[in-house]
Amino acid sequence: MPMLERAEWYDIARDTNWTPKYVSPEALFPDVMTGAQGVEMAKWQCYDEPYKTSYPEYVRVQREKDAGAYSVKAALERSNIFASADPGWHSILKAHYGSLAVGEYAAMSGEARMVRFGQAPGMRNMATFGMLDENRHAQLQLYYPHDLVSKDRQFDWAQKAYHTNEWAAIAVRHTLDDLFMARSATETAIMLTFAFETGFTNMQFLGLAADAAETGDYTFASLVSSIQTDESRHAQIGGPALEVLIANGRKAEAQKLVDIAIARTWRLFAILTGPSMDYYTPIEHRKQSFKEFMQEWIVGQFERSLIELGLDLPWYWDKMIAEFEYQHHAYHLGLWYWRKTIWWNPAAGVTPECRAWLEEKYPGWNDTFGKCWDVITDNLLAGREDLTHPETLPVLCNMSQIPICAIPGNGWNVKDYPLEYEGRTYHFNSEVDRWVFEQDPIRYRDHMSLVDRFLAGEIQPPTLAGVLAYMGLSAAEMGDDAHKNAWVDAFRPDPLAKNAAE
Amino acid sequence: MALFPIISNFQYDFVLQLVPVDTDNTMDEVAAAAAHHSVGRRVAPQPGKVIRVRRQGAAEFYPRTARLGTTDIKPMEALEFIFCEA
Repeated sequence: MPMLERAEWYDIARDTNWTPKYVSPEALFPDVMTGAQGVEMAKWQCYDEPYKTSYPEYVRVQREKDAGAYSVKAALERSNIFASADPGWHSILKAHYGSLAVGEYAAMSGEARMVRFGQAPGMRNMATFGMLDENRHAQLQLYYPHDLVSKDRQFDWAQKAYHTNEWAAIAVRHTLDDLFMARSATETAIMLTFAFETGFTNMQFLGLAADAAETGDYTFASLVSSIQTDESRHAQIGGPALEVLIANGRKAEAQKLVDIAIARTWRLFAILTGPSMDYYTPIEHRKQSFKEFMQEWIVGQFERSLIELGLDLPWYWDKMIAEFEYQHHAYHLGLWYWRKTIWWNPAAGVTPECRAWLEEKYPGWNDTFGKCWDVITDNLLAGREDLTHPETLPVLCNMSQIPICAIPGNGWNVKDYPLEYEGRTYHFNSEVDRWVFEQDPIRYRDHMSLVDRFLAGEIQPPTLAGVLAYMGLSAAEMGDDAHKNAWVDAFRPDPLAKNAAE
Repeated sequence: MALFPIISNFQYDFVLQLVPVDTDNTMDEVAAAAAHHSVGRRVAPQPGKVIRVRRQGAAEFYPRTARLGTTDIKPMEALEFIFCEA
């Protein structure tokens, strides 16, 4: 029997709208869950998903993708790629798995909300596949690191991170909860798929796959490529939703959602991807700096997507671009200094050769961040590693949940951005973080940062040891310098002194 | 006499830090407590200079002998610690 071409039946088959008889349309699709901003359902009929696929096609392709990824993993299981890779690469893997694997389940939940409450049949159809995608991503990214737990206990944090009160895990959870665990279908379409995925993760996964191949970790490269091809498909759910909102006079509302989501996503990328690209990746494997990456993909590509959709650039666009110069350097310094509080081993990445690269990519680095690293390096050379560990907590931003930090040394511009709200003082890393809070204070006001919890007596004993225990980090899991401070040997002028120190 | 948390924004350092001090502490003692977490760790010492305290964004420093409890500083307020000529 001849089969019809997909294009001949797709629009009819995926139109699953019906007229409810037993409940009102409002009860079936409450605005709080749809997030349709008052745009009536009929207006969503023009939603046109750019990527069309059927269930049989989807299953066939996904099966091939899974077979490909798993066969590469099986074929390389006995190779020594993992053992021979630089410890900095291991740190990238650990940070990636711990911060994203369980978050994929959160994304699945967000996709499921679009499946149920999406106003357009096309959105519901695409989100069905997106939901299945995210489930696959969670399972893949939990399974792969599980094999590595016997080699290195920190890989257990792929499973564990989200279930702890570790500060970086709180930061990721707080952001993802905001962008897609506690949002309506339309908000999720915009904040998860358009801002988070189109803007950042899709690009990030492309870059990560290339880095993995460059490092020789073909298992991870094939895993990430397999995921990225899903992302590039379901990330297209948000664009048509934005078009519907804009066409129906809801541009301001749409713009606000985009602005909040980009602001929040940028923080996560600055702390996870920034240090990975500019410090953890061995210098011989670096293709471009984090700043160059952001300028090419976010400013060059994503900016165009915003304009083409009829949106404006976020009001803070120039401020964010200015942060490309320094924010991730500050985050890296914080991650390294408070390394016992994270589940991976940050590579310092500040040998003389690395510093020359940083100075070339970020003119002025030596005069700013380099000043702090000078003191740290001198302490390590003097055998005072104790001074390279903290005796107190950094103050955390009440939006990003990441330490409030900026440029040190001769460019010193660190500043608190406080806000009084209902008798409580909140602290923010920037005007933008504070602006996000002000858009919906009731949504954010009750959250307690780790420092707030410490001051409220929720963490006992109220010591750094107590904080580490509260965060769930065992001695075998706490972070340390990825190279056990061996990088500092490059600063010892006399080879004999180097041998003596060993 | 009471434990009093402040936020240290130390000149040339990169991060805001939580520093527990006491309402009986003088500003010099508050500065010393803040310096403990920055100077010699990420900020190079500046021998011969003193560290003065001011409210974030203020031009004037608090008197060095002023006791914290007698000032208008609130708990968890960001204070700037600045190297000054002695």
